[in-house]
Amino acid sequence: MYRSSVFSLQQLTSIALAAVLAGCASSGVRNPSGNGVTVLKADEQGFVAGTGVESQDIVTVTDKMARSILEVPQIQRAQGQPRVVLLPIENNTRFAINKDVLLTRIRARLNSQTRGKVMFLARERMAALEKEQQLKQSGQVTSGSDANVVEFQGADFFLTGKLDGSTTKSARGVSDYVLYTFQLIDARTSAIVWEDLAEIKKQGLDDAAYR
Amino acid sequence: MREFYSLLVPVLFSLCLLGCANRSPSGGNGRDALLLKYRAAADHMRRAEFDAAKPLLDDAVTTLGGLTAGDVSARKARGYFQSESRKNFRGEPYERVMAFFYRGILYWMDGEPDNARACFRSAQIEDSDAEAGKYKADFAILDYLDGLVTAKLGGGSTDFLTRARSNARLGPMPDYDPAANILVFFEMGRGPTKYSSGEYGEQLRFRTGTSRSTAVVLTGAGLSVRVGPSDDLSFQATTRGGRQMDHVLANKAVFKGATDGFGDAAIVSGAILAGTAGRRTAADEVGAGLLIAGLVSKMISAAATPSADTRAWDNLPNLIGFSAFRLPEGSHQLKADFVDASGAVTLSRTISIQVEPGTRDTVLFLSDRP
Repeated sequence: MYRSSVFSLQQLTSIALAAVLAGCASSGVRNPSGNGVTVLKADEQGFVAGTGVESQDIVTVTDKMARSILEVPQIQRAQGQPRVVLLPIENNTRFAINKDVLLTRIRARLNSQTRGKVMFLARERMAALEKEQQLKQSGQVTSGSDANVVEFQGADFFLTGKLDGSTTKSARGVSDYVLYTFQLIDARTSAIVWEDLAEIKKQGLDDAAYR
Repeated sequence: MREFYSLLVPVLFSLCLLGCANRSPSGGNGRDALLLKYRAAADHMRRAEFDAAKPLLDDAVTTLGGLTAGDVSARKARGYFQSESRKNFRGEPYERVMAFFYRGILYWMDGEPDNARACFRSAQIEDSDAEAGKYKADFAILDYLDGLVTAKLGGGSTDFLTRARSNARLGPMPDYDPAANILVFFEMGRGPTKYSSGEYGEQLRFRTGTSRSTAVVLTGAGLSVRVGPSDDLSFQATTRGGRQMDHVLANKAVFKGATDGFGDAAIVSGAILAGTAGRRTAADEVGAGLLIAGLVSKMISAAATPSADTRAWDNLPNLIGFSAFRLPEGSHQLKADFVDASGAVTLSRTISIQVEPGTRDTVLFLSDRP
């Protein structure tokens, strides 16, 4: 009886010893072989998220604005192509963002959807365009037309926008509201011929280890 | 022999559990990745390697912008057998504020004052969870800069200036000059450090930083300005108050103490029983059991890790400040003298600046840190 009990303890000791050696090998680094690339749509929320401006917000907002601009009478019933210049967006939120991405996406959506209904002018490339014109005027490069005639077009409308935000933070978490407003301004009269908005609110709570 | 095996089994079993529990979930560098970026970014800022600091700070503010809900390392850090320093480092509020502050300076240098303002606002939000209301979001410089950008962009800035002045403890905040085109950010001294106290090191404490320099004197180009700091990081670090994690650590400390105390009691009782009773008696068996239970409890106590996380962004300054003034277009030479309380120069720097035409501000960053 006593010998049998000692034998079982020896067995148990061996099992425990094996567990010491083997158990640790199975723990440690999480996802030791890494994560494969996960392709997400730009308008879906990934597993990495905050309360700031994210790709799904940009897609939602710019899609809405592009659709809305097309319904503006001055665009729909325009004789010829209205020429639009983009003015930088003003960021009044607490999130530092690449401001160009919003207007760039609206422009790309309008260009691809309307097939020439609206013409955007590349004012942000003026330095390069002026240099090219000077090269043509000086005869250093060829020109398909009279290089001394200014053909840079003026704007009929300015498209611009603004981001405003409001933040609340407490022990229960952080909440961020961002209001996106966009305007189409008549360059001749300064009248705001179109304005639309989109608003997104997000909230979340950090792990207690960081609070 | 039997007693030996009886003891060995739980010892090895506990070792098995403890050995596994102490393994790092993401590796040391992974946990400290943000800390390393913080430190490297500060070094780059001081060497005027702003392009090198930018991606590091971008990573930092992007990380800080994400929520930590579901963070595995944070969950484990709350466990009894994982120390707080197992969590991915993000820093205390004053450290997170400085990441946004530095990034804001760089945005302004790049001619993006609105994005700079966004960083200053996020920085102030990071400082908004102090325990005492009067210390919430109380960086004077952040409200002041928020207002200055707003004034420069044509908005109303009175409220920002009022808030900045109400939080200013180190000196008066001047009126805004929206036409100021030279913006000088400066930092001085060595910032606060962390240590732990309490029976098991479960209480996070801050040792205040020091700064020999107490002001900057800017001369040249028709200027002679003495500017004092706006904020003290040691003050910010020590006025945050308790954290929610402190409650977790306090519970861990209670657990560690209780299991340790039980272990002591069980071992002593078991030893007395086993020593006074005859061999192979019931009391001997109970004594041996108590001894084993006591040892296991002691081991569990030893494995409990209530110590506070004392990793720190240890190359931060102690004082930060700002000044804005006007200079005409063209080349200028400025001398920046860091001075101590007696007016003696502690460090002198000569700065050549080129003020370009247009509305873009010239942003300078000065540090008395090497």
